[in-house]
Amino acid sequence: MSKEKKSRRRKNPALALLGPVMLFYFLAFFLLGLKDANWESFLLSLAVPVMILIGTAGISRLFPADQLLLSLTNFLCALGVLILYRFSPQRGLAQAVNYGVGVGGMILCAYVVRYMPGWKWSTVLMMGGSLLLLLLPLVIGTEKNGAKSWISVGSVSVQPSEIVKLALMLCLAYLLSQRRVLLSIIFAGACLMILMLQKDLGTALLYYGVTMVLLYAAIGSLPLIGVGLAGGCGAAIVGYQMFAHVKRRVAIWLNPWADVRDAGYQIVQGLIAMVNGGVWGVGLGLGNASVIPEYYNDFVFMTILNEFGLIFGLIVLLMFLFIILRGIMIANRSRTVFHALLATACSTLLALQTFVIIGGNIKLIPLTGVTLPFISYGGTSLVSSLCIIGFLQGVASRNEAGVHADRALAERGGEGL
Amino acid sequence: MKQLHRNIKRIALCLCALFLLLAGYGAYNIIVNGNRWFSSSSNTFARTQKKNVIAGDILDRGGVLLATTVEGKREYAADAAVRRAVVHVVGDSQSNVNNGVEAFMAAHLYGFNMGFGERLSYALSGETRKGDTLHLTIDSQLAAYIAGIFPAGRAGAVAVMNYRTGEVLSSQSFPNFDPMRVTAAVKSDPQKPFFNRSVQGLYTPGSTFKIVTAVSALQNMPDVQSRAFQCTGLREIGSRVITDAGTDLEAGKITRHGQLTLLRAFQVSCNNTFAGLALEIGDAALRKTAEGFGFNDNFLFRDLVVENSSYPTENRNEGEIAWTGAGQSALTASPLHMCMIAASVANDGVMMEPQILLSAVSARGETRTEFAPRAYRTVMTEAQAAVLQEYMRAVVTGGTGTAAGISGVRVCGKTGSAEVDTQENTNAWFLGYLDEEDAPYALAIVVEEGGGGGSVAAPMAKKIFQWLLEKE
Repeated sequence: MSKEKKSRRRKNPALALLGPVMLFYFLAFFLLGLKDANWESFLLSLAVPVMILIGTAGISRLFPADQLLLSLTNFLCALGVLILYRFSPQRGLAQAVNYGVGVGGMILCAYVVRYMPGWKWSTVLMMGGSLLLLLLPLVIGTEKNGAKSWISVGSVSVQPSEIVKLALMLCLAYLLSQRRVLLSIIFAGACLMILMLQKDLGTALLYYGVTMVLLYAAIGSLPLIGVGLAGGCGAAIVGYQMFAHVKRRVAIWLNPWADVRDAGYQIVQGLIAMVNGGVWGVGLGLGNASVIPEYYNDFVFMTILNEFGLIFGLIVLLMFLFIILRGIMIANRSRTVFHALLATACSTLLALQTFVIIGGNIKLIPLTGVTLPFISYGGTSLVSSLCIIGFLQGVASRNEAGVHADRALAERGGEGL
Repeated sequence: MKQLHRNIKRIALCLCALFLLLAGYGAYNIIVNGNRWFSSSSNTFARTQKKNVIAGDILDRGGVLLATTVEGKREYAADAAVRRAVVHVVGDSQSNVNNGVEAFMAAHLYGFNMGFGERLSYALSGETRKGDTLHLTIDSQLAAYIAGIFPAGRAGAVAVMNYRTGEVLSSQSFPNFDPMRVTAAVKSDPQKPFFNRSVQGLYTPGSTFKIVTAVSALQNMPDVQSRAFQCTGLREIGSRVITDAGTDLEAGKITRHGQLTLLRAFQVSCNNTFAGLALEIGDAALRKTAEGFGFNDNFLFRDLVVENSSYPTENRNEGEIAWTGAGQSALTASPLHMCMIAASVANDGVMMEPQILLSAVSARGETRTEFAPRAYRTVMTEAQAAVLQEYMRAVVTGGTGTAAGISGVRVCGKTGSAEVDTQENTNAWFLGYLDEEDAPYALAIVVEEGGGGGSVAAPMAKKIFQWLLEKE
């Protein structure tokens, strides 16, 4: 009994965080309302905190959710809505709708992981479906920023690779938990090949990273990882030689200042937005980050640095890190290899995606177009990021259930004596 | 399962490392490049913000007002001669000059470095924000004096710095212009008055580079000081012919120095000897020494932008290597960098980072930034510096630089008459310094198409040194 109380008290810090977070968004939208004399902003200054309250405290009533994970993701998602709304109310509201859909996806994914009795046949189904879905853009797809990775269904455009990302993690976790190493490599390899054909190199990099990390976690064989790394480097070199736009990207990365008006414009303006923000930021609503192409998408982190400053940016980075480390903790507490690998895959993917896009923004690595999880504008990306959190929640609730079962067993054992 | 947990923990560590890398690289970039990016002409934000802030004042080291804002308009020093003499350091409100203080320190001048509390109090009081006051290391009287003695109508540059601290007393480019009267004639002047030759002008250093060659010889040839060299006046190396100053093949006139020591070769600036030294040292070793002096480095000084100097890496045949030893070939350096080289000899081998900002003080009187002197690099040992000090003294007492000599004062220097393919006449160079404890100043002078360094630049150096000594 006392143990249970303790564990409930331990969860409280996450709830204690809720107050300041709600206040932050209340003030932010309130100030935006004052600035533009806009009743919609005032409305949002109440609606967003309430949504966060429901999203954090309400959802955890549906199943034993990890509240720390919930409150962190809610904060980041709301930050996305705020920064998008500040530049374009239309985009901000659309993102809020995406967020609602994403929360539905998260709950669904959590339930699937929690209650799915077996994964054998669904894995087979997912593998086939994934490959078909990935091939689709090549047939009926539209090209965006040099990559042919989008399909349009009616008025909605969807990036299949974002959905397949989820399937990939489930399939790899299952296959590797069954020691089907060869099959998992073949499947991941096939996905990578198709992504290369789509020229969606950023996503390919993420798939590759997750596959390598999972292989290492499951097998721990360094020679195999060495071969994989060598293969990755080889693919990178071949990609560099084959694709003109890869060469261009690398050249821009090496010196974006060589052509500040055209090729290097985006990166240079991003860097300038960052230093304009300084330590404290220029202030919400006062920056001009919209001069950066894709300021609401790939470069949203630079927009945040511009308006909120470096310290806030570091805090956001820390929040990502906390989410990731929480995921690792969930992985290490899980009772089956499958769940451990799934949670590891979720953490790794979020970490790599954050690293690849922010690293590209600040010129640490060449820029590849992936989104910043939870914050970037875009339905598919936000929903899939929240689904990943759903997987983690599902694993966490299984862990919790396991702990309860153990305790029940122990108590019954005690009675038996 | 146990192994799985161990592997997952390792993965977590790697992921943490990735985030550390992001934060670390970001911080590094902001510290090293932040101000360069901010003051970039691509920064549209800074330009729009300038309307909302009263730009701060710029003062010289003696407190003379060099730039101020009067009713929203930027005004420069009251004395027209001073205004013209410091224009390349201070810059101008139209950004005709690249990277002047007006542009490069815009973050200070326009109050972007304000803390949170300061901003808030400005916002609450409703006062217009005021930028920081900048105190520069520049001596505007010295600048005006130098402008007065620089040959009229000539292009060139003069840099003067304190070799113990790196403080730049003057960094001037000629011709200059009046920032308050930018006429069409100034804009279309073929001599490009806006161009800041002192830090942006990439000149062939000519014989002044022999300081670097000599240091490289000391580093790589242990017996070089006791050796005897032979100067025959003409030496064919590959497709190039090494000649000495005064040689005129058409008139059948050839300068020959005969047998000489390294000291004597430095004193009379013998091309033949130094070409031979370069060949003997080898391109790689000479390049290594030059790179130690800052050639091919990406200069990222705290408060001023200096164009990178280069030691050539392409087309290196024997003839080119030989000419490099005498400071020709495709070598380039800015006058301020050459001044730093002279200063490093004077400062016993330690090259100080040039510094132009003494302090930035907020409108409320708080010191925002203050720079302590910082060494750029140790470019030679004290023993090697002592040898070079002796050589540079000998140039003034009995070599090509006697015109810089002042009786009773230890003036040291090196002349140069750099050949440029596109020019009829040579560029006149003089690098030098005062070996006086209470007047630790080094300078570099270049007069484009001025002729001989010893006859044109050295006398100017003497006058500048005299001015500096009188002031002390």
